[in-house]
Amino acid sequence: MEYLDEFFNYISSVSPSKLVRVFWFFFFFEFVRFFLVDFTTVLLWKITAVFRKKRVKEGRNLFWAEKPLISIIVPGKNEGKHIFKLANSLKEQTYQNFELIVIDDGSDDETKSICNSLKKNGLIDIFLSNDVRGGKASAANLGLRYSSGKYIIHMDADCSYDRDAVENIIVPFYYNEKLGAVGGDVQVRNYRESLCASLQAIEYTDTISIGRISQSQLGIYRIISGAFGAFKKDALDSVGGWDIGPGLDGDITVKVRKMGYEIHFEPTAICQTNVPVTFKALTKQRLRWDKSLIRFRVRKHRDVFYPNESFRISNFVSFVENITYSLVLNFKWYFYLIDMVLNYTSRLVFIIPMNFILYTINNYFKFIVFSLFRERKNVKAEYFMLYMPLMALYFGYYLRLVRTYAYLQELIFRRSYEDSWNPEKSSRQAKSLKL
Amino acid sequence: MNTSTENIKVVDHKINYNNLVFYVIDTTNSILNIDHTMGYDALILDASDPEYARIVLKKIRSHYNPEFYLKPVFLLNFKETKDPLLNNMHDGLMTSYDQVVSMSEVAKRIFLKTTQLDNQLIPSFEGQTVKKVLNYMYTRDIRTLKPIVDLNSSIGYTYPELSINFTNTEEPQVLEILEWADREGLIWPDFYERVYLCNNCNSGALSYREVCPHCNSANSKSEDLVHHFPCAYIGPISDFQNNIDSSLNCPKCNKTLRHIGIDYDKPSVIHHCNNCDQNYQDAFIKSKCLSCEDDIDVKYLVPKTVNIYKLTRKGRSAATSGFLSSSLEVDDIFGTINMQTLRIMLHYELEKVKESPAQKTSIALVHLENIFELYNKIGKKGERKLLEELVAVVRENIKSSDVIAFESSSTLYLMLTNTTSENAEQKLMNLTALTENLIKKNFNSFKVNLLYKVKMLDANKKAEVQLQELSKDFFA
Repeated sequence: MEYLDEFFNYISSVSPSKLVRVFWFFFFFEFVRFFLVDFTTVLLWKITAVFRKKRVKEGRNLFWAEKPLISIIVPGKNEGKHIFKLANSLKEQTYQNFELIVIDDGSDDETKSICNSLKKNGLIDIFLSNDVRGGKASAANLGLRYSSGKYIIHMDADCSYDRDAVENIIVPFYYNEKLGAVGGDVQVRNYRESLCASLQAIEYTDTISIGRISQSQLGIYRIISGAFGAFKKDALDSVGGWDIGPGLDGDITVKVRKMGYEIHFEPTAICQTNVPVTFKALTKQRLRWDKSLIRFRVRKHRDVFYPNESFRISNFVSFVENITYSLVLNFKWYFYLIDMVLNYTSRLVFIIPMNFILYTINNYFKFIVFSLFRERKNVKAEYFMLYMPLMALYFGYYLRLVRTYAYLQELIFRRSYEDSWNPEKSSRQAKSLKL
Repeated sequence: MNTSTENIKVVDHKINYNNLVFYVIDTTNSILNIDHTMGYDALILDASDPEYARIVLKKIRSHYNPEFYLKPVFLLNFKETKDPLLNNMHDGLMTSYDQVVSMSEVAKRIFLKTTQLDNQLIPSFEGQTVKKVLNYMYTRDIRTLKPIVDLNSSIGYTYPELSINFTNTEEPQVLEILEWADREGLIWPDFYERVYLCNNCNSGALSYREVCPHCNSANSKSEDLVHHFPCAYIGPISDFQNNIDSSLNCPKCNKTLRHIGIDYDKPSVIHHCNNCDQNYQDAFIKSKCLSCEDDIDVKYLVPKTVNIYKLTRKGRSAATSGFLSSSLEVDDIFGTINMQTLRIMLHYELEKVKESPAQKTSIALVHLENIFELYNKIGKKGERKLLEELVAVVRENIKSSDVIAFESSSTLYLMLTNTTSENAEQKLMNLTALTENLIKKNFNSFKVNLLYKVKMLDANKKAEVQLQELSKDFFA
């Protein structure tokens, strides 16, 4: 009780200037970027929807008039158990002029026989199997090599798609000729499975979906999810398809951007996926994702910062924003921590809970406000309200620590080349050639 | 008695030696009607022309009359050949007529054994054919039926002792007859090989090839898929080839491929169909029948086991003691009953006749004497169809209360209720004419010898006894 009294006394005594001084990291960086900027752009996007409506409708009409062949590529290893469900869900699509290409990347289970059977029964159009695993990029490239469609959609086998997802992800190409790729919205299907999955569902709903609308509006959208992304075949051919991962989703997006194409996020093209249900699995996934920021943004595509003939301001801004908010501020947070420990040692017992409360209030506020902009929800917003207080810990501590560890591993040891996600033979070559 | 080699002379194609008359067949007397050899004890066949010798030997050994097919045949001037019939269906090889001396001993042994044979008539095609083979094997001391590779056989193998009764294309029937003999317990199978036959014509002459799963064309080009590790490009090897030299260059990053397993590998193979332009990895395996030209998915081929068959104890004694067939494959023909049911019905019919002596019922036995010659040509399916049509014709001409029962595929019984033997005779006469016409019309003017015997049912004798009497009177 005594502590609570002291805590409230402290809060009430803090002046606005002192509040900003104590919580400068939140006010100057996180609130501005992840609330104000996102909110403003999303609001503008919503307001201007009326003006886009006619253009989108015309694009849709053009799309239906042309009815292009679309190649759906599904690469993967040991994904046979998911393919039947996926093929069946694709049969439900409003748009049916597509070829389904499944690439088996050296599976050692029943995938080959399952897929051969599905092919025999007409559920798969092309099924190619490699006896030896070559990695996801090579599997996707094999699919690309034998595809005939004007547009390529990359899908993950364990995902399912809204009935109009294929149509919606292709339509933007028909009202914006400059587009080279369109990303779909990925939602969490197994959000009820564990606390870990629920927290990720909030993250996907909030940061990923809304964040990508905002990035797309600002022209800095940089990662088309491998679970659901569409590309112009010409664009993919001109960049030579996918390069070695991990992090090939972001890499291919950057490559397409560098060719001068625009990238769009389409919130009405909805895909549902299963996320890791344990923190151990999630940590492994995020370490892989975060390492790719260093490998691809900082190293492989550093030429984005060079003022050469292929320099584009949008790519520059996209990279700066990405590196600033993901890498620089991640380390700066530790300065903030030191600042607090050194300058407010005696007040830390109040600052930490207050920090937590501040983030939680912000999270609730953001979630409620952004809920108004969401195109389609697979879960009612109320479901997540209970979990919202944990998001401060999830975002502020757990993800930050994982990110830091990943960055250090990659910056110092180049650990992404040892990731078992890629076959060792490919990683060895990529490392020696500094790819 | 002439037993001196000095006196061995060929006079008018005949050699008399040791009370035996050998008839010499060579191309000069060109015997194609082997009935001319009737009455001679043994034959000396000049095999200088193997083709001619083969034709004659086949005619002799495939004859239905034991007088011919068991006749000792010696080959003169025989040269090594791959023909299984010539190699296996003779009784001795001669290089000069002087060898008649030793051959006469062989012939006498065969005669002695021939006299021990049982002459019982087996009332089925399979039974008759197997009995013939068993007779031959007994007289030649053969105890095993061995399959021999034969390129002329439609299944690739031949059993000379049995196959000689069939043409090359009828070889699948040989397997059926062997299976039948196995079921009868006459022979014992020992696995030798498995063959696959066309499901349309039963031929084993099949050409296996990989075909496109989309259009079934074998016109395809196969290529290795090449995966270039550094850039993750993967495509057919032709993507990496150039027209200048033999080096492989990656079409994505232009690097030269150096060392398999280090910077590239070949994870798979892809086929391109030149007919429909589709790409595929798992080609269908199809087999083209070189006989009927059907293109068959290999899973629909008919697997058949080619066994080495050894005579069982029953099989060994069957030649001298005969055997009773236990299986009958004509029981289920629509409109007929089996023999067991006929016996029961006859029993009740006898009771009725006892009750009302005025009621007259006749029984008849009908035998299609030479029908096996036709069965041999038309195979099992044709045989079945013929019997079904025969039953239909008989059914149309008898009362619905009358019954038909097959004893074998060549013999059937009729029970004609409320029919005197005179009426029955009349009915049978009509049926004979109808059946002969039916077979003549449908089977290339084949003339069947239809024989029958009618008997009035005697109320004082058991049904079984009356059936036996009818059969005995007929086949005696």
